[in-house]
Amino acid sequence: MKQKLETLLQDALAELAHVCTEESLHELRVKYLGKKGLVTSVMKGLGALPPEERPSIGQMVNVVKDRLEEEVGSVLNTIRTSRKEEKLRGERLDITLPGRRRPMGTKHPITLVTEEIVEIFAGLGFQVAEGPEIEKDYYNFEALNIPKDHPARDMQDTFFVSDSIVLRTHTSPVQIRTMLKQAPPVRIIAPGTVYRCDSDATHSPMFHQVEGLMVDKGITFSDLKGILTSFVNQCFGSGVGVRLRPSFFPFTEPSAEVDIACVICKGKGCRVCKNTGWLEILGSGMVDPEVFRHVSYDSEVYTGFAFGMGIERIAMLKYGISDMRLLFENDLRFLKQF
Amino acid sequence: MIVTYNWLKEFVDFDLSPEELADLLTMIGLEVEGISSIGGGMDEVVVALVEEKQQHPNADKLSLCQVNNGREVISVVCGAQNFKAGDKVALAQVGAVLPGDFRIKRSKIRGSESCGMLCSEKELGLADESAGIIVLSQDLPLGVPLFEALGTKDTIFEIGLTPNRADCLSVIGIAREVAAKLGKDLVSPEYSVPEEGPSIEEKASVRVQDNDLCPRYTARYVSGCTIGPSPAWMVSRLNAVGIRSINNVVDITNYVLMEYGHPLHAFDHSLLAGGAIIVRRADEGEMFQTLDGQERILTSADLTIRDAEKVVALAGIMGGENSEIRDTTTDILIESACFAPTAIRRTSKRLGMHTESSHRFERGADISVLLRALDRAASLMAELAGGKVAAGRIDVYHDPVQPRCIQVRLDRIAQILGISLSCEEVSAIFRNLQFSVEPDEPGIVRVTVPTFRVDIEREIDLIEEVARLNGYEKIPATMPMVHTFSELPSRHQMLEKRLRDLLISQGLSEVISYSFMHPDSFGKILLGDEDPRRDVVAILNPLTEEQSVMRTTLLPGLLETTARNISYRLMSPHLFEMRRVYLSAAGEDLPDEPVYAAGVLCGARDPEGWHRKREVVDFFDVKGIVENILDSFGVSCASFEARDIDTFYHPGKSCIVLCDKEIIGSLGELHPTVQENYGIELPVYYFELNFEKLVSFSREPASVVAPPRFPDTFRDIAMLIGEEIETGTILDCIRGNRIKEMENVELFDLYTGEGIPVGQKSIAVRIRYRSQERTLTDEEVNRLHQRVLDNLLKNVNVAIR
Repeated sequence: MKQKLETLLQDALAELAHVCTEESLHELRVKYLGKKGLVTSVMKGLGALPPEERPSIGQMVNVVKDRLEEEVGSVLNTIRTSRKEEKLRGERLDITLPGRRRPMGTKHPITLVTEEIVEIFAGLGFQVAEGPEIEKDYYNFEALNIPKDHPARDMQDTFFVSDSIVLRTHTSPVQIRTMLKQAPPVRIIAPGTVYRCDSDATHSPMFHQVEGLMVDKGITFSDLKGILTSFVNQCFGSGVGVRLRPSFFPFTEPSAEVDIACVICKGKGCRVCKNTGWLEILGSGMVDPEVFRHVSYDSEVYTGFAFGMGIERIAMLKYGISDMRLLFENDLRFLKQF
Repeated sequence: MIVTYNWLKEFVDFDLSPEELADLLTMIGLEVEGISSIGGGMDEVVVALVEEKQQHPNADKLSLCQVNNGREVISVVCGAQNFKAGDKVALAQVGAVLPGDFRIKRSKIRGSESCGMLCSEKELGLADESAGIIVLSQDLPLGVPLFEALGTKDTIFEIGLTPNRADCLSVIGIAREVAAKLGKDLVSPEYSVPEEGPSIEEKASVRVQDNDLCPRYTARYVSGCTIGPSPAWMVSRLNAVGIRSINNVVDITNYVLMEYGHPLHAFDHSLLAGGAIIVRRADEGEMFQTLDGQERILTSADLTIRDAEKVVALAGIMGGENSEIRDTTTDILIESACFAPTAIRRTSKRLGMHTESSHRFERGADISVLLRALDRAASLMAELAGGKVAAGRIDVYHDPVQPRCIQVRLDRIAQILGISLSCEEVSAIFRNLQFSVEPDEPGIVRVTVPTFRVDIEREIDLIEEVARLNGYEKIPATMPMVHTFSELPSRHQMLEKRLRDLLISQGLSEVISYSFMHPDSFGKILLGDEDPRRDVVAILNPLTEEQSVMRTTLLPGLLETTARNISYRLMSPHLFEMRRVYLSAAGEDLPDEPVYAAGVLCGARDPEGWHRKREVVDFFDVKGIVENILDSFGVSCASFEARDIDTFYHPGKSCIVLCDKEIIGSLGELHPTVQENYGIELPVYYFELNFEKLVSFSREPASVVAPPRFPDTFRDIAMLIGEEIETGTILDCIRGNRIKEMENVELFDLYTGEGIPVGQKSIAVRIRYRSQERTLTDEEVNRLHQRVLDNLLKNVNVAIR
């Protein structure tokens, strides 16, 4: 009997190894484990055995039964899994079809560059300040040490609203407004729209600047150099050469133009940098004591620096735009590239 | 300001290449904006000897020459006739590139080989016109590049001077800077004035009436001049710096102007009534014809130079036709004077006359150099025009200027620049700049400022000189010591960024239009005559009428941009602009400049695709965007009402956005006439929001509620209502029950058409009930829902289906 059970198990396992559909597995199960199955019939024949053998053979039948049930279950699992996989393999999508998207809009490049500059200076501890675009002559010129009838006024072609009101020609009046409102220390960045009556491929009657101002005890020209070098490295890449050279602005002294190594030719000389290897990107300097006098700061105690840059210029360099007018034509074929 | 390498070299002995010199100038604040060379790249044009000249065998008008270029004899075909064998000529050899990118190649002309070209002055860029080729002097060395042999090879520097540097508006001025930077001596021009004959007082007199505008006036008298051409060296120098030669006397005044930077004027003495010069303000309304032939009307603010009878020059700006140097002039009065910058500037601005002279006087002329300039001019007139210089000079100088003495503290230098310099280092810088340095207390350097440095008045000006000459590159880059903590970006700034991010995520692209607008735009957008937005800020000097007033609304700019993009065949522009508008504010000096956010939707909602049919945008797309904005800003009190509609909207398809009864914006379909006025064929949907008001109603979420723990139950209501009843009324009525278990009311169907009586619409609403404390029973929900239904029937004319 024992021998018979053993053979039965071996036969069943051998058959099981060849089963590959759920149907044949079912048949196999009926054949061995069904009500009239081979294993069941051994169980039924138990009564014919001597009573002392019944327990051990009965136990053995149960072991074989459990073993078979387990094997059948596992084969069933395998069959089902592979059938599912096979079915999934048949469900193929053309994944090269474009995705179902609602197109995104884009930000204007001027906005992108402004946000980037503001973010860099925010990291250096500068806060955003703002001021009106239609500005008093006093804030735009007088308080910045540009008196009436001074040749320095020729540096900026001005739109007038009245004798004493202009469209601001630079963001520098925000310096004055900020200093009049608060005592030092001051650390501001002022992005904004400015106007000059001039229009061609490199000039627009409306353009954008970012002004920076830092005033405190102990601020030096050397700090100006440090802050601007840090800015250039973050905006144009670390290792980009920076040089400051003497210049003139009525509201700073000493004044400096800041050049960076030409980003197009890497300083070798090309058309964009007029073969100098350098690109002018911003004007800066130490706040002139005369400006401090207008805002009642004690220039013997406080020193500071200011700088200003044209956002269009930086956008044009960053994105290789050669005609400034493109920035204000709002052609979506241009804008969608940002 | 233009200077040349060789001219500078006359005054300072430097050992720098043109490129090195340009770099040096730029780094001391005299920015070189352009470098060009005279005769540069023309080394293939050499001095050659014509050994043989024969008639060309196949052409009457050509000759065939054998030319010695110093190394070999070559054949050249030439069309000019003005030379003979034995002449020295300018030979452009094969490979030479002449002005106009004219490349010389080996060629065959009428069967004869030609290995170069004999050049004319015009071909070499030396003259505008020329007849025949140049025949050179016999003593020029054979085979040497022409410009080298002539000694005219030079480099021209174009310097962009800042308005403070009046002292550098001359070759000597720039040479002085080079000398200072290199620590070399400045060489002064050498000349002598051969005085003869009677003294100037016998021939001329000068009276300065308005010495507030003319602090100094000097003059010399030169008689017996012969007007004629200037020598070649002077012509080429003047040409190099962009001045055309006129005649020897005028050229001399221009030459001295460029050399010393001081404007001179030469009068024909015979045309000065009484030989007298009077300097005074013009009479109001006086007429005067300037050298350029223009009739000028003067005011009493203009300073004039006059003789006994009439105006003869507009002081410091331009002379008059009535006393200018003519071909017949023999006796000359040279003026070298100083005029008040402000007066010159006012007059030159008012009359629109910007001259070399006014440019210098309005920046401040050197009151000391004018004698040297005067003498230099007189000396040159004696030398080049054969004039006799009368003894002495007139010098009217009422109130001699005292040189300024200023001190600079070494610790102040450190405070500003962040570097420490010794007393010796600082003193050396000033001595190099020709300041005299006097001993003072320790830690202080006291200097006397030379009169040519009109820009230096204060200690800070001296510190700038120290920084400039010491070199900006020697100042280290440091990070400032920080005494403040940085703060977060302002709320306004954060929300501005949030709104832009939201709008681009909704598919709108940002545009930036000019802040200007055309005043006619108000008509195009049908704005009523009384609309406050017509009260614009106008620009007095606009570039064009399209840009003559500041915009009070973003709509015209967006419509122009929409139309332009449609004309590029971009048929569905979805755009926004977020910028200021400029609104006149009664009683204020300056207008209001609130930021508005406005957008336009036109054409297809989404691009057509393999998975999507074309659907066009409508009112609810634009409303959806505004709702998203309000949600994202946490504006809970907003409502939409179809009243107070702007005239540019379709009256039935638009609304205003209200917050606490305040209008914060509007949206809707634009009036078809507005759309047509901009040549747009499809309906345009527009929204605008006053960003400042939006910010003021914006709230960040204060606290949140935990997700519910108990299940919800919903009930649907289908009803018929009159088409004229707004759905909002129904929803408000349902919400108005103030049932705390009513979690949410949602419109999920809207239908008119077949099966619905004419004039009615069918709507379906789903109401979600939920308690925060327990699971509601069916009976409880039914009871609540019945209340809702009763209320609806009582308050609104509906038929529940």
